[in-house]
Amino acid sequence: MATTATEAAKATEPKAAAQEQQANGNGEQKTRHSEVGHKSLLKSDDLYQYILDTSVYPREPESMKELREVTAKHPWNLMTTSADEGQFLNMLIKLIGAKKTMEIGVYTGYSLLATALALPEDGTILAMDINRENYELGLPCIEKAGVAHKIDFREGPALPVLDDLIADDKNHGSFDFVFVDADKDNYLNYHERLLKLVKLGGLIGYDNTLWNGSVVLPDDAPMRKYIRYYRDFVLVLNKALAADERVEICQLPVGDGVTLCRRVK
Amino acid sequence: MAATGAGEGNKAAAGSSASLHSKTLLKSEPLYQYILESTVFPREPDCLRELRLATASHPMALMAASPDEVQLLGLLLEMLGARSAIEVGVFTGYSLLATALALPDDGKIVAIDVTRESYDKVGSPVIEKAGVAHKIDFRVGLALPVLDQMVAEEGNKGAFDFAFVDADKVNFLNYHERLLQLVRVGGLIAYDNTLWSGSVVDTPDEPLAAATREFNAAIAADGRVHVCQLAIADGLTLCRRVV
Repeated sequence: MATTATEAAKATEPKAAAQEQQANGNGEQKTRHSEVGHKSLLKSDDLYQYILDTSVYPREPESMKELREVTAKHPWNLMTTSADEGQFLNMLIKLIGAKKTMEIGVYTGYSLLATALALPEDGTILAMDINRENYELGLPCIEKAGVAHKIDFREGPALPVLDDLIADDKNHGSFDFVFVDADKDNYLNYHERLLKLVKLGGLIGYDNTLWNGSVVLPDDAPMRKYIRYYRDFVLVLNKALAADERVEICQLPVGDGVTLCRRVK
Repeated sequence: MAATGAGEGNKAAAGSSASLHSKTLLKSEPLYQYILESTVFPREPDCLRELRLATASHPMALMAASPDEVQLLGLLLEMLGARSAIEVGVFTGYSLLATALALPDDGKIVAIDVTRESYDKVGSPVIEKAGVAHKIDFRVGLALPVLDQMVAEEGNKGAFDFAFVDADKVNFLNYHERLLQLVRVGGLIAYDNTLWSGSVVDTPDEPLAAATREFNAAIAADGRVHVCQLAIADGLTLCRRVV
């Protein structure tokens, strides 16, 4: 999730949150940064579990199941993409016939694997994360799935990579799809660059745009420190995307909220 | 879908109509309203808003698709580059209008409903005004015979890019068999109300909840499609035909 150099200090926030969660004795599969009793944005855990049990897990590729299980043991696992979101990404990629894609924020690679499995044999993903170690945790699953060759992993902050790409005109409008699951305080900076790099009609997906539902909490409501810190950025992001005429948008309550932006200008 | 919505007029309309859309599967009503007010209403084309508000005062308004749902449908259609669609269940024509707006000028939609009364009274004038009525081929009648006839007609097999089913739940699996012949490989079939207000887990033995659960299990096991079940509106299941 964290991809800027200055993220090092803030990176302790997800860690602190994860430690909080473990102290609560949550032994079962960890999920996003949700409250106890609410594993998703849905009105009940039972309903969310129903969707997972009925439509997601029976169709989840073996490699993704494996990667999900490996990730569940990791202390920062609340950063991972949820299984229903992985399935959704997979479908999106197939629907738009994407071939050249990008992912900003990899963690252990669950959404990366979902994407790689959906791409054609000659599909590519330029994947960026400041932390290669986490990526290497999931890499064996990706290799076993036979899709690692589609991935070009760059360790480090994403902005410089994007700026480099933009410097060459050849890259403008060359990407079919980008998934951004990273530092919320940089989403708008990524957005400006991605709008040059994604083709007309191409798709950008921004993750965590409902931020555990905190977007509607009053300012003085109790919330975890890192939720409160990034909440303002998420609120500003949502306003900005809604007003951006260069894209058509749709905000879905999948995972922690995914906003799809289709470039139209 | 043309994004022509910004402005004060929208804000006023959004404020007054926000409470009209209060069925949600999300953990809180304010969260749902947030999505509508920040992302849906500001981008809603005028004609779609007009039809939404006109439909809201209909006694059977609960039957209509929800605004966030039709926004997604429009986006999906554009992502697919869809040119032809089928709609099973029209009511006033709200999702039909959203579909028509997303198709190119020579796009075609076969719209099926057992009655066209609500459509003629409420939706048709708005759809005419929006300049997209020519894309719609409305067929009155029970959907099964209409679909059977379409399957039998020359040139219809695999001819459609997209289908939206928002109709009688007990027939969903029957519609599914026909639509799998009419929609092309790689095309999309979307089924509405597949979470049935959450009753699929709250009251699973209640007849309609049980029928919905049966449908969900059947398509999840159907190797001819890849599925994705979204907790948007009352549950929207996307099926991409792969075989």
